[in-house]
Amino acid sequence: MLSLVTRRLVRLVVVLAGVSLVTFSILQASGDPVALMMPEAPEADRIALRLSMGFDDPLPVQFGRFVGNIVRGDFGQSFFHREPALPLVLARMPTTLLLTLLAMGLSLVIAIPIGILSAVRRNSAFDHGATLVVFLGTSMPVFWTGIMLILLFAVQLRVLPVSGWETWGALVLPAATLATFSTPLLLRIVRSSMLEVINLDYVRTARAKGVSEWFVICRHALTNAALPLVTVAGLQFGLLLGGAIITETVFAVPGVGRLIVGAIRQLDFPIVQAGVFVLALIVVLVNFAVDMLYIYLNPQIRVR
Amino acid sequence: MKRSIAPAVALAFALLALAAPAPASAQVKDTLTVALVSHAPTLDPHMHFERVGILVNINMFDSLLHRSTKLQFEPSLATSWKAISDTQWEFKLRKGVRFHNGDVLTPADVKYSFDRVIDQTKKSPQYGNIRAIKEVKVVDADTVHIITDKPFPLLLERLVFFPIVNKKHIETVGDQAFGTTSPVGTGPWKFVEWKRDQVIRLEAFDQHWRGKPAFKYLNFRNVPEVATQVAEIKTGGVDIIRNVSADILPELKTHPLAYISSTPILRVHYVALDMRSAPFDKKAARQAANYAVDKSTVIQKLMAGLGTQVATTVQPPAFGFDPEVKPYPFDQKKAKELLTQAGFPNGVDITLHSASVADRPSFEAVSQMLTEVGIRTTPRMWDPGPAWNKFFQAEGKATHGAYGTWGNYSVFDADAVLHPLYHTEPGGWIGKWYARVEGLDRLIDEARSSVDQPKRKRLYAQIQQMIREEAPTIFLYTQYDTLAISKKVQYAARPDEWLWLYDAKPAAR
Repeated sequence: MLSLVTRRLVRLVVVLAGVSLVTFSILQASGDPVALMMPEAPEADRIALRLSMGFDDPLPVQFGRFVGNIVRGDFGQSFFHREPALPLVLARMPTTLLLTLLAMGLSLVIAIPIGILSAVRRNSAFDHGATLVVFLGTSMPVFWTGIMLILLFAVQLRVLPVSGWETWGALVLPAATLATFSTPLLLRIVRSSMLEVINLDYVRTARAKGVSEWFVICRHALTNAALPLVTVAGLQFGLLLGGAIITETVFAVPGVGRLIVGAIRQLDFPIVQAGVFVLALIVVLVNFAVDMLYIYLNPQIRVR
Repeated sequence: MKRSIAPAVALAFALLALAAPAPASAQVKDTLTVALVSHAPTLDPHMHFERVGILVNINMFDSLLHRSTKLQFEPSLATSWKAISDTQWEFKLRKGVRFHNGDVLTPADVKYSFDRVIDQTKKSPQYGNIRAIKEVKVVDADTVHIITDKPFPLLLERLVFFPIVNKKHIETVGDQAFGTTSPVGTGPWKFVEWKRDQVIRLEAFDQHWRGKPAFKYLNFRNVPEVATQVAEIKTGGVDIIRNVSADILPELKTHPLAYISSTPILRVHYVALDMRSAPFDKKAARQAANYAVDKSTVIQKLMAGLGTQVATTVQPPAFGFDPEVKPYPFDQKKAKELLTQAGFPNGVDITLHSASVADRPSFEAVSQMLTEVGIRTTPRMWDPGPAWNKFFQAEGKATHGAYGTWGNYSVFDADAVLHPLYHTEPGGWIGKWYARVEGLDRLIDEARSSVDQPKRKRLYAQIQQMIREEAPTIFLYTQYDTLAISKKVQYAARPDEWLWLYDAKPAAR
C-alpha cells in the first residue's frame, strides 16, 4: 500500500521532468523571441539583447539553468509583461480552475442521472434520445457551441451576459459550453458501466431482499459502476483544462489559457513554461488523487 | 446530453445572475465601453508598441503635438514649434497643464520622457522611432529644444504619439508600478483600475486642460473573439468595436442598436514579390502579375466597397504621394503577353504565402486571378505568429512572394512604407530579402535625411514612378477602418485608426 503511493509519487516527478523538457525543446525550436521583441531594430541591438537574455549559451546550459530555477520556483521574467512569470500564471489559475470545476460539476450532475436512466431503461426512446444527444455533443467543436449559446441566451433571449467574468451570470455560458464537451463521454461511461453491473448476481440478490429498485441501483449498482467513472472523470479534468483555453477566448474569461495562448504567439518562453508546468502539475495531481481514490473504492488494489 | 437540460440549468443560473448587481445602465449615458482584442502588456506608454496599447494610452496621456481628424498637426502640450536649423527644433510648452496627481507639467518632464526611451538600458521598443533624437534640452520654464543627429523629417510625425510622463511620479513609484497600478498623465481620463485580461477602467480628469470629456467613465474591455464582440455590440454590452469585417457589415448597418462608421486609412495591401529567383527576377513577369489582378472586383465583392486602388504602396493620405502615378489597369491580354516576354509562354507555377487571416478571401481571389493569366498560384495560409515571423521576416524564405498589409504605424509619410518594404539594408524589415531594385536604396536614404519637404516630395515622386515601372510588388489597394458604434454614442472613425474618445459624445435623443 505504502510502496504503491511511493511508486505513484515517483512517477509524478518523472512526468513533470518530462513535461519541462518537452516544453523547453519545442519552444527552442520555434523561433527567435528577440526578432519578435525588436522587429525593426538593427542587428547589433538584437545581439546585445540576446546576450543579456543568455540565449547564446549552449542549449544544455540553458536547460540546466532552467531546471535549477524551476526547483527554486523561478520561471524567469516574462519577456512581454516584464514581470516574474509564475505569479502571472498563478494569479489567473483560480479563474481557470473555477471554470473547469463548474464544468465538471455540471457534467456529472447531468451525466450520472441520465446515464443511469439510460441503462435502466435500455433501448427505450429515452435511451435512444440520450445517445443521439451524446453524438451531437461530441461532434460540436467547443468554440462553435460557445458562439451558438451566446447567440441563443445572450443575443436572442437576453437572459445572460455575452462575455466577461464580472457577475455570476457570466459564469453560466462558459461553464455550460465546456460541459457540452465533457458530458457525452461521462454519460456513456455511466451507462455502459451500469449495464455491466446491473444484471450481476449481487444486484439480483439485493433485489431479492425486497428493497426498492432505486435503492438497489444507487446503493449497490452505482458504487461498483463508479470506478470507471472516477478514472474517466480524472482524465477528463485534464482535457477540460485544455478546453478551457478555447472557452476562455470565446467568452473573454481572464484565465490562464488565454495567457498561454498569447504567450505562444509572442514567444514568451517563461510564461509558456510556467503555464504548461502548472497545468501539468494539476493534471498529474488530479490523476494521483484518482489513483488514491481508486485504492479507497476498490479494496482489491490494496491487496495486490 | 446538455442540449435538453442546459436551458433549464442556464435559466436557474440566470435567476441567480439577476439577483447579482445589474450592470451600470443609468438614465444618462456616462460610461463609454470599447472592446479591444487584447490589452498591451503595460500601461506605460513608452514600453510597448501595440496598437491596442496606443489606443488606451492616448486617452490618458498627451503628447507634444496632436493630429486633427483632417490629419493636420495641432498644438497639444506644445503650443508652437519651429525648426531652428536642420537638426534643431524649438517647442513652446503649454502653461499650467496638470498631471492627474496634481503636479504641474514642466520642461523637465518632457526631457525625462525622451531620455527614458533613448536610454538603451530601459529597452523601450519605441527606441527605433526616435533613434535620430540625440538630445532634449531644457531652455527655460516653457521651452525645450530637440536636437537630432541628422536631419530628421519624420520628427513631428513621431511626436504625435510620444506621451509626456511625470518625472517626479515615476521616480517615486518606479517603472513597474507606473506601468501597472499607477499610470499618471495629463490626458482627458485618469486611471482607476486594470483587471488583467478583463478591463481597464478610466475616469474623467476634472482638471484636464481641454476641459472635461463628455463621458465620465471610459472602459476598455478585453474581448479576444470577434464573434463575441459582435454579440456584445448587438446587446449593448459594449459601445465601440473595431475592424468590422465585410461579411458582418450588412447585418450591423441595419441593426437597431448600432451603426457603422468607416474611413480610408493608411493600411495598404500588397503582394511582395521575391525578386531573387524566377519568375519574379524578370521585370516583365512582375508587371504581368500587376496587370493580372482585377482590383476593383476584389474591392467591390470582398471588401464591401471599402477600399481604394493604389498605383504603388504609397498611400494617398501619406506625405509624398504622387497622384500622377496611375494604378496598373486590369488587362489579362497584356499580362499574358508580358509573361511570354519574360520567357514563360506556357505559364509558370508559383506559391504565395500569407499570414493575414482577415484577408484570406482577397488573398485567394488574387491567387486565382494570377492563375487565370498563367501564373498558376498555390496560396498558402500561415498561422500568424512565431513560425510565420521566422519564415517570412527573420529568414526571408517566402518564395515566390507573400500577401501582406502595412499600416505605417500611423506615420503619414512615404518613408514609413518605402523603407521597411524596399530598403535592402541589413536589419531592415522585409526589403532586405525580397526587393532588388537598382538605385532605390539611395533614393530612399536621400529622402529620409532631408527636412526640405518640396525636395522630399520630388524624390518620392521619382521613387513611385520607379517602383511602378519595376514592380517589386503587386500593388493592390488601401483599406478602410470600420467601427461599429452604439446608437447611444456619437463618434466617427479616424484616418489614423486612433480612438480619440475626447471627441465622443452621448447621442442626442
